[in-house]
Amino acid sequence: MTEYVDAGQAIPLSQLSAVKGSAPAVAENVDYERILESRSEPHNWLTYYGTYDAQRYSTLDQINKDTVKRLAPAWVFQAAMVGMHSGASTFSFEASPIVVDGVMYVSGPDGKVWALDAKTGEELWRYKHASPYDVSLCCGNVNRGVAVGHGKVYLYTLNAHLVALDATNGQVVFDSVNGDVRAGESGSVAPLIVKDMVIVGSAGGEFGVRGHLDAFDAHTGERRWRCYTVPKPGEPGSETWADNGEAWQRGGANCWVTPSYDPELELLFQGTGNPAPDFDGDVRPGDNLYTDSTIAVDVNTGEIRWHYQFTPHDLWDYDSTMENVLFDAPDGRKLLAHADKNGYFFVLDRTNGELVRVFPFVDRITWGEITPDGKVTPKVYPDKEGEPVHFWPGPAGGKEWTHMSYNPQTGLMYVPVQEVGATATRRRREFKESMPYWGAAVAVDLEDFYGYVAAIDPLTGEEKWRWRNEYPMCASTLTTAGGLVFQGTPTGEFVALDAETGEKLWSFQCGSGHHSSPTPYSIDGRQYIAVPTGWGGWIEGFLPGLLGNNKGDALFVFALPEA
Amino acid sequence: MTTISNDRSAELAAAGLDGQNKLTLGRLLGTGTIGHAEELPDGTMRATVRIPEDEMCWEPGILILPHGGTLELTLINDDKNTHCSVLPNIGDNLVIWMVNHSKGTATLNLQGPGIYWYGSATGNDEGRGLTGAIVIGGEVPPEAKLDRPAQPRP
Repeated sequence: MTEYVDAGQAIPLSQLSAVKGSAPAVAENVDYERILESRSEPHNWLTYYGTYDAQRYSTLDQINKDTVKRLAPAWVFQAAMVGMHSGASTFSFEASPIVVDGVMYVSGPDGKVWALDAKTGEELWRYKHASPYDVSLCCGNVNRGVAVGHGKVYLYTLNAHLVALDATNGQVVFDSVNGDVRAGESGSVAPLIVKDMVIVGSAGGEFGVRGHLDAFDAHTGERRWRCYTVPKPGEPGSETWADNGEAWQRGGANCWVTPSYDPELELLFQGTGNPAPDFDGDVRPGDNLYTDSTIAVDVNTGEIRWHYQFTPHDLWDYDSTMENVLFDAPDGRKLLAHADKNGYFFVLDRTNGELVRVFPFVDRITWGEITPDGKVTPKVYPDKEGEPVHFWPGPAGGKEWTHMSYNPQTGLMYVPVQEVGATATRRRREFKESMPYWGAAVAVDLEDFYGYVAAIDPLTGEEKWRWRNEYPMCASTLTTAGGLVFQGTPTGEFVALDAETGEKLWSFQCGSGHHSSPTPYSIDGRQYIAVPTGWGGWIEGFLPGLLGNNKGDALFVFALPEA
Repeated sequence: MTTISNDRSAELAAAGLDGQNKLTLGRLLGTGTIGHAEELPDGTMRATVRIPEDEMCWEPGILILPHGGTLELTLINDDKNTHCSVLPNIGDNLVIWMVNHSKGTATLNLQGPGIYWYGSATGNDEGRGLTGAIVIGGEVPPEAKLDRPAQPRP
């Protein structure tokens, strides 16, 4: 037999591509002070929500009510999510791209991060985090974005590692393991840079983990503090769990959506997830703090300063992980707005968690009732073993994790609303690490659904207008000083609405549904709107009626035609 | 329903699921032998996978690593056709082109625990059976574990 032919050494796949391999060092001087003042540089989108207050508002106005009709694609980036490692039926392109001085940093499913030329779409570098195929994922192979600063790009991976990449070339600077995949933990959140720290929260609430929020040294990857969102016996809040029980150990309350932050109060406002098991409350008597809550966390110590629980003793999977939008009342009162899965819109005093106002923002609420003074009365829930119970909103909520936006010009919150119900049948099961721990059989409605964008005055609770759609709204809104609200639909349209009236002014068919957060920016005086598309994730939870819609994985970037 | 024996290999052979173009067109994914990487004194690991002639599969089909880290993998193509391998790796997938009767290497950096898949991404080699598994055992480091008592597992 002849000698083997020398096949050589395996090489990175990107070497066989046109990827440039380097990006300008624009992230070197992105630090806390600059992110604090990010509204003063509207050409960039320096942090997940654009600003720490989570308003998702841009002062750019080149694209406005008059010009938007000429909006057209400037470039498209194809993320190429294929193969077994992508989990072909589950991936979704959920990120909100970060833009720094002409460079875009965006993550996709399956551990992918790209640096792109934000003007042309050219791929500058790429990173692919290899995560095991069998990580427990409740809701798809997804990632909501990266944080950029201190010369680095921060990614929280599917297998719960905080990875810092060199922003100029995508090479790993540090890799800190922060979760136990054997326990069912995972990662999907977009990290947040505050001071010299990076904040991330855990995922895995459907697997009976104990939720936590963590702060890491942004330079070394060393953990500074961990805030558990379910107290141990003897800690404050532990009285809301059964005495001497084991339920707290598997209590959930995960933090898989990025917090907002008030630099004056030095508080992070973190939404927490559902208790576990989701639908079987008998095994966890009590209110189950701090599940389904907003917790105000001292950014320096990780201590919980106050909390407000939206759905005590949740029996419907009503996570409250979604954003807390910070805004001030005309009298200067520091407020926080939160549109919960349970169908109610809450306004809190963000200095102390006091309820200011609560009102429904969806049409159909049957699970229970919350009075204007905040008293919660459950009405319909999976109570008896084997007995189906139908309720609205379904477990994906009247609004899912996708974000509302706030326009200071109009004073309105623009809320993406899902009108979808579900049936849950309690089915008790033993807890076993890494196995789904729902305590019910759940089927989300395949019919009788719709959606809308609601423009809500948070000071009065009045709905000023709504833009109704045949299908629920499963993507974040973005609002701009151009008097516009942008919204992607499950059927692929990217729509611009008049922020004052809700009139549809423009739309473009992207070919696959939206489940992400659009990002505005500008380069050399030209404004762009970027939006990842790619229908997927937990579709069976928020809109199973469109489970068979076309998949996709394209990032569209729109601009007005060049003169 | 026929009787099921405890001999997995015999069952696969009897059903024609142990090769090419018997019951199936290609080799059923996830079958094949199981191999273990060798751990070196410095903690790195070493293993060899091979493509046997006319089998269109990796041998071993399942390669077990005791823990995450660096794996020096030797890949041998004993087949009379050209294949390749696209392998998982932190940072980027690795690719190696493997003409008939060739031998190459790949240095993989992988974290555990969990399963990774790799395959020959040419033609439909992956569908015909050239999809292999790298399985990493062990636990996450203590600092990554939850502060709670030990929990039951399946």
